[in-house]
Amino acid sequence: MDNRKSAALRQGVFVFITLAVLTAAEYWIGVSTDMAALIFVLFLIKATLVINFYMHVSRLFSPEEGGH
Amino acid sequence: MSADAKGLPDYRYKLGTLRLGLWLFLVSDSFLFAGLYITRWYLLGGHRPELNQTLGLTVTTVLLISSFFMNRAETSIAHGDRKSFLLSTAITLVLGLAFLAGVVGVEWRTAPFGPGDGPQGSVFYMLTGMHAFHVFSGVLFLLIILRNGARGLYSAEKHWAVEACANYWHFVDVVWIFYYPALYLIGVVVK
Repeated sequence: MDNRKSAALRQGVFVFITLAVLTAAEYWIGVSTDMAALIFVLFLIKATLVINFYMHVSRLFSPEEGGH
Repeated sequence: MSADAKGLPDYRYKLGTLRLGLWLFLVSDSFLFAGLYITRWYLLGGHRPELNQTLGLTVTTVLLISSFFMNRAETSIAHGDRKSFLLSTAITLVLGLAFLAGVVGVEWRTAPFGPGDGPQGSVFYMLTGMHAFHVFSGVLFLLIILRNGARGLYSAEKHWAVEACANYWHFVDVVWIFYYPALYLIGVVVK
């Protein structure tokens, strides 16, 4: 496996773990506390992570990138 | 230089336009979801429907894992690993179907209210229904790239269809990131 591929896969795993932890935190806050504002912050972070690392929004501004 | 390699500069130029087109579509589609999201806050305010929390967390986790495998599928084909691409795409597809089964097959059947039972029924079935429809169309896209991938139509250099499908799938995930807390976690349960 080449280095670029393993780095990309590692990044995917890291983002997934972060999303899982944030989802667990969101769930715990939702069922155990009354801090709705914190849930808003958490899901905005989650959405940003997916848009940035999984949807690669930055490719829009650099069409030469992305392995194609 | 092969004919495929000769066409690459032209393909890269087109890729920029295709990406912009896809993002314009996703932004326009997000207005639909945003409208429904605002409807939820307008009609229910600080209340939320009475729903199965375990099931909500389970389907959310399933969709999250599917996004991971979708990313893995795209990364694999971008590096010429067709076998891993096919396996990851197939797993994403199965998880998409599992999400649909959880929401439409279980949650809709077990919810203690129907679509006509006041604002909570309207909000819940409209939001989850529209989202499930998008998941279903994502599953169809996954089937298409799985079939074409098995026939060897994608390569490390040319796999725009896979990138488009992946972006659509992640977009559906982002929508659920907003919908899940709004339906399951925030507010006081409507009795």
